[in-house]
Amino acid sequence: MPTFLTVNGEQKVSMRAPMTPLIDVLREEFQLTGAKNVCREGICGACTVLVDGRPVVSCLVPVGSIPNAEVRTVESLADDGELSPLQRIMEEHDVVQCGMCFPGILMALTSFFKECPHADKDEIRAALVGNICRCTGYERLIDAAVALAKSS
Amino acid sequence: MPATSAITLVMPEAVDDAVAALAEFGPDGAPLAGGTWIMRAPIRGEARRSAYVGLGRIAALQAVDLDDDEIRIGAGVTHVGLVAALSDVPQCRGLVTAAAKAANPAVRQMATIGGNLAAWEFPASDLTPALLSLEAAVELRSPGGTERVSLERFLLRRRAVEPGILVSRVVIPRRPLTTGHARLPLRKAGDYPVAIVSAAASMDGHGKVDDIRLAVGSVEASARRWPGLERALLGARLDPASAQELARERSGDFAGRDSVEAPAWYRVQVLPALVRRAVEAVLASPR
Amino acid sequence: MVDADPSTVRMNLSRRDARDKLLGRTNYTVDRAYPRMLHAAIRRADVASARIVRLDTTRARQMPGVRAIATIDDAPGMHGIGIADHPLFASGVIRFHGEQIAAVAADTLEQAEAAAAAIELELEPLPAVLTMEEALAPGAPLVHPGWKDYEILVEGAARGGNVAWEATVIRGDTDAAFARDDVTIVESCFRVGRQNHVSLEGRAVVAAFEDGRYRIETSTQVPWTVRNQTAKLLGVAPSMVQVTVPPVGGGFGQKFDCTLEPYAAILARKSGRPVRLVYSRQEEMLTCLCRENADIKMRSAVTGDGEIVGREAVVLMDCGAYGGEQIFLTTMTAHTLTGNYRLGSVKLVSRAVYTNTAPNGAFRACNGVYNTFAMECHTDEICQAIGMDPLEFRRRQVLGDGDIGATGQVFEGDVLGPMLDRMEAMRARSPSKKDEAGDRLYGRATVVGTWFVFVGPSTATINLNADGSATLITAAVEIGQGTTVQALPQIVAHELGIHPDKVIVRGADTDAAGFDLGVGGGRTTVSVGAASKAAARVVRDRILETAGELLQTKPEKLVLKEGRVEIAGVPGSGMTIAQVVQRAHQVSGPVVGSGSFTNPGTAAMPGCAAGHFIDAIDIPVFNVHDCEVAVDPDTGHVDILSYRVVQDVGRALNPRAIHGQIQGGVTQGIGYALHEEHTIGDDGCIRQNSLETYRVPLALDTLPIEIELYEGAPSIGPLGVKGAGEVPILNPPAALACAIRNATGCRVQQTPMTPPRILGYMTGHEPALELPHIAEDWWDNVLMTPPAR
Repeated sequence: MPTFLTVNGEQKVSMRAPMTPLIDVLREEFQLTGAKNVCREGICGACTVLVDGRPVVSCLVPVGSIPNAEVRTVESLADDGELSPLQRIMEEHDVVQCGMCFPGILMALTSFFKECPHADKDEIRAALVGNICRCTGYERLIDAAVALAKSS
Repeated sequence: MPATSAITLVMPEAVDDAVAALAEFGPDGAPLAGGTWIMRAPIRGEARRSAYVGLGRIAALQAVDLDDDEIRIGAGVTHVGLVAALSDVPQCRGLVTAAAKAANPAVRQMATIGGNLAAWEFPASDLTPALLSLEAAVELRSPGGTERVSLERFLLRRRAVEPGILVSRVVIPRRPLTTGHARLPLRKAGDYPVAIVSAAASMDGHGKVDDIRLAVGSVEASARRWPGLERALLGARLDPASAQELARERSGDFAGRDSVEAPAWYRVQVLPALVRRAVEAVLASPR
Repeated sequence: MVDADPSTVRMNLSRRDARDKLLGRTNYTVDRAYPRMLHAAIRRADVASARIVRLDTTRARQMPGVRAIATIDDAPGMHGIGIADHPLFASGVIRFHGEQIAAVAADTLEQAEAAAAAIELELEPLPAVLTMEEALAPGAPLVHPGWKDYEILVEGAARGGNVAWEATVIRGDTDAAFARDDVTIVESCFRVGRQNHVSLEGRAVVAAFEDGRYRIETSTQVPWTVRNQTAKLLGVAPSMVQVTVPPVGGGFGQKFDCTLEPYAAILARKSGRPVRLVYSRQEEMLTCLCRENADIKMRSAVTGDGEIVGREAVVLMDCGAYGGEQIFLTTMTAHTLTGNYRLGSVKLVSRAVYTNTAPNGAFRACNGVYNTFAMECHTDEICQAIGMDPLEFRRRQVLGDGDIGATGQVFEGDVLGPMLDRMEAMRARSPSKKDEAGDRLYGRATVVGTWFVFVGPSTATINLNADGSATLITAAVEIGQGTTVQALPQIVAHELGIHPDKVIVRGADTDAAGFDLGVGGGRTTVSVGAASKAAARVVRDRILETAGELLQTKPEKLVLKEGRVEIAGVPGSGMTIAQVVQRAHQVSGPVVGSGSFTNPGTAAMPGCAAGHFIDAIDIPVFNVHDCEVAVDPDTGHVDILSYRVVQDVGRALNPRAIHGQIQGGVTQGIGYALHEEHTIGDDGCIRQNSLETYRVPLALDTLPIEIELYEGAPSIGPLGVKGAGEVPILNPPAALACAIRNATGCRVQQTPMTPPRILGYMTGHEPALELPHIAEDWWDNVLMTPPAR
């Protein structure tokens, strides 16, 4: 049974079985490999995408459970190739190392800042508890996010 | 064990249709709410059912109604939804803490109150002890109609809920209680608490406890009330240090459970400190 | 010859790969897909020890979508480090829970998994040894009954039974030291658990078989090792294998060995199609090449003024079912457990022990981390026993210029002493955070550490292009550490007088770049950097020569600067490098240069080390870490209030990048110290099978590390650099354990220091650790026989 979705503004149809995790549909069927398949248990957050505006771990979302949903992935953040303010500040602060966690972190923070644009450091930390980064030790990326919150 | 591609998922839009579908699938089917428990079944080495009835499109399960007598929460309300709907309800302070701190932000967007209560294999639920302390009830829908049972009773029988029965609502009686929720993850956050104490109390005009319910989660296989400690605290002024001491004297009431995260003795050992923290939260809570 | 302008080499160059990583466009191995590509799955053992009576793939072959199945028949070779003890598939017997038995390629992953599960297997149970205590017990079943017949790759070690490898150091007379009447004898036992790397990109490969050769695209730190080991396992010439490496999503040592590549290679040959094999997170949790668990017993004879006149130690390292990296790491015990301080005499044995458990491997600073934990805890126990302030003890006893290390190598320069001074100044600058501890128990500690740069051979080629850019070709891999996008282009650019952005760094390809030991041991900046610098020097000479002719000026009078060749002291003179290259094309051909590097070898004291892969360390690296903690007496939770690092970096080419490595490395060390552990269940299976039960640090568990880079220590690295990425993880378990001990008064003997363990120390639920399988008399712990006494 096909599942109709809007992904990054485009109409898409998934032909995968309904219990297929959304992450597999995005990566394998739609070739959107930005979101990463890391733990498949909702703990690392590397597969975080927005479904109808809510940040969810796409490894735990059966694609058949979100018919007609609007899905946004990291690939949608840079409009016309222009980095989003969040992406830009991460680049400026030299935050990235291996990079695997960032697609999820960017989506989690994008959503979080929409709700709490002036969040403080503790709130930003708490917002990132579902995103594992194994390289950076978090502090620099938290500092970058704080800088963005202060500038907004 | 059915392969993912062989599993059926239906997405009804009404509770009656969901109940009918569940009845039709019988023991091969189960409800699927937020997905955060069922989708991880393969990691736990558990077989999945061959059919699921998704609840995400049933508007009636997403509602939270408040009136003077009770708070009725649709089973499909997520942790984030609970926080949004109940933050201003003083009686729900502990429950809101539980919903706001459980798991991680993305899982809180997905995991539902009904799913949390129905996942009987999950001992570390934050919502369960919080709801026990509020003496919540659960509404069960079946093809035959609606039944309301106390959460305590539901926890005892949930493992054996027959096919075709759906947790549709959670109902909290409104009382002038102040509540607190103390949880102990091994890291600062992001993992399941190894022990939880939820407290709800009301004080008389002299500041003495005239009603108190304490519930303990994660320490044993299922959350339960701590009646011995409740009796000990009744009628006295609520004080964190003495509550901790009384809890220490009675911590033998719990056997503890061993798991890969923490040994049984540890879960019991930390209980008195969590009682103190829960009581502190109650005292700090606005009345 | 005028040297390159030294002022241009130090800069906080940004990462050129950051943008695509932030855009979600970076194409890691797990993201790669090709037309006709198949998906592979591995059938694994679900018992720890058994004889394979029957393995039948007939039914699996007939399953839908199945294109190829590989078994032991397809991979006759054995590989290993030191000894070739490891077949690609379980060979006749199963030696660990999770061992590979067969590999299946099918049109979809679900089909491959279904077919793998359908392979019929008949097993006859064998007894298993799951702990080193069991493995070393008299009459224990042997994990490798045929150990004597294995091919020996490196000579010189004692082996026997379940002891896969034994390395010893005997220097001086410890018997006499311990017999002195003016010494205090301090004895300590320690036990550490396994640590999983949790690289977010797990092990992954795509292999194809084209034009008679294996083409392997893989997430590895060691392309040349993968090439050579794959060939050895498949029984083909190494030249038949090409390995290329896309951006790697984290390594930390996990990918310092050839692991899953040969399965995909065989399946690609048999199916004639590209094959992708990606280990699931569960496979990564259950069969990760972890930092090994270990048992350590050590004792020291110490005089009243802190002189350590003798030390004896036994270190048991669990290598799991196959030797692997632990064989090599037996060497490193000498330089860590008996490093840091002057020792009058040493007896040390380090044994890699076979057990029926998943094999272990390399992990950032490897056994250095737990040996440092053990030694620094032991040092504080010494200080308590002789009544000396731990900081004072360290000031007096750390290795300095001319002091000799465990194996008798002579250290050059005073480094640790001045670093301790630097830490003291750092501490003095900011107030103690004791107040933040509140009602909790407060503790503080300063610890030191010694590790090394694992140098070894590297090579580089530079093509200087007609547009003035340079293409650097090496086998270096970008695993996130930044070397290939920061330090290497900086080194080359500095030598050539161009901006680092003009240095193109080619991804690793064994068909393009020459031999390299791989990314690990902090070696890339040093070894690949030195080779790149040498290559750049050749190129530089060619430009100067050609330009000298064009400008009618002697090359010595020319400088390379900002993309131009100029006459020294005459700004604006000369011409662009691009013009010189274009000219060279006509007169002498394109400008290309190559360079090579290998470690010079550092002398040790002859005859004191046996079974060692290296006798001494070419580039020592030193650390001083300081932390303050608050321990919750009710729950055992440890809160880190402050954490400071003084790190010996030789010379900092990109300070911001090094700070990033230190913040990340210390955090990983904090995880190992406080939370992360794999334990083995009664069935031989690792109990923590997911990130739910294996707890890595999250954003609320970290704190900003205060950092000072110590520059100027001697180094053979290019421009005086040392590797900076590996060593930050060396000290956190030591620093935290000593601080926790100071806070609680409890002796810390084990990692991780989880809340249950710490509360257990305080309440008596956690018994004192004893290691009955390590004998009191040191000589009873070694295979070698003592000289007549």
